[in-house]
Amino acid sequence: MPDRPAPRFLLPVFVGSSGRETLAGAEALEVGVLLRDLDLMTLVGVAEAGPEGIAVDLDSVDGLSADDAGARFVVGKLGVRIVMTRRPALAALVAEAGGLGLVHVFAFDSTGLKRALESHPARHRVGTVISPGPVLSHLTADDLEHLPRPIVAYGLIDTPDRARQLLTIADSVVVGPECARGLVGGTWVSR
Amino acid sequence: MAGPSAKLPEFLARLAESPCCAAITSDGHLEAALESAVAALFILRGDGLELRPLVRRVHAAGKLVAVHLDLIEGLRPDRTAIAWLARAGVDAVISSHGQLMPSVRREQMVGIHRLLLVRRGLLDSGLSAVTRAGADIVEILPGVILPDVCSLLSRLDVPLLAGGFIRTEAEARAALAAGAAGVTTSTESLWRARLA
Repeated sequence: MPDRPAPRFLLPVFVGSSGRETLAGAEALEVGVLLRDLDLMTLVGVAEAGPEGIAVDLDSVDGLSADDAGARFVVGKLGVRIVMTRRPALAALVAEAGGLGLVHVFAFDSTGLKRALESHPARHRVGTVISPGPVLSHLTADDLEHLPRPIVAYGLIDTPDRARQLLTIADSVVVGPECARGLVGGTWVSR
Repeated sequence: MAGPSAKLPEFLARLAESPCCAAITSDGHLEAALESAVAALFILRGDGLELRPLVRRVHAAGKLVAVHLDLIEGLRPDRTAIAWLARAGVDAVISSHGQLMPSVRREQMVGIHRLLLVRRGLLDSGLSAVTRAGADIVEILPGVILPDVCSLLSRLDVPLLAGGFIRTEAEARAALAAGAAGVTTSTESLWRARLA
């Protein structure tokens, strides 16, 4: 599968956030925010303040169904351009709507990874989120070749060094605020 | 909470002799595993209603049998299915359903609770669930990252297995050095490796 350039709006570093601790300085530092484990009202509030640089974990929003209507709402109504989900068909729908759909794959073992990728749409603007992120370091060249890009490493990335190392493999990493500060510097405040 | 399974000491002793366990994901794996040096076969696929002949063959080869209750077909992960597995002669039951662990132990089998590592925010709840369940053994997945995250797992005071993406001898040894009592792998070449 040929490599495709990651869409420009996929920043290399995302900070995982439940919306309550959204980082005001993140935009200036070119750090995106992955909204996860939040409720629908918080999601709407954060997105209305400006959807640029925001990604949403569609499967973890209380009150929002991870289905076609939910995906259309997030992309079409809220203007969020990056959506991750465990449901490949929804990731494809996000891509059709002009966004970047990311299929969230839990990479616990090689058999499970292979099975998960069988249902990956593997089409333009549909990439892959791998959890936990550090497992990417242990994938073979053949494994990596079968991962549709862009690739996002998400989960258990605790240090800037680990994040930098993963960025040699992945197009983007999702980290906590402390780790992101170590990666890009700067002082952030909650809003 | 009931104490550990009566079979746990034997299970751990066998792991100490041969810390690699064969993860059986297809029928084709079985013969190689039976002829290998592994102490135990972890049955991750197959028909849970037709296990007895398989268990007999594995025992005849001098090995132990662990069955993944959540992945095999034909059985629902509940107490009755656990009793069914005990009757079939299974030595250990693997599951992510922590509430089943006491039933597994009551049936004199070793309870292996899978802890799936996803991200830090979910780890605390996962560790609490595993501790509450009182499993005999916790299997960490993906086990290949155990050396990276073992400091996060210090709360666990039960033996650990590492499973998932362990495909080289170096990865197996690294997991054992990080504290795992054993590794599970479907990589056949590791079934013949001397890791103890």
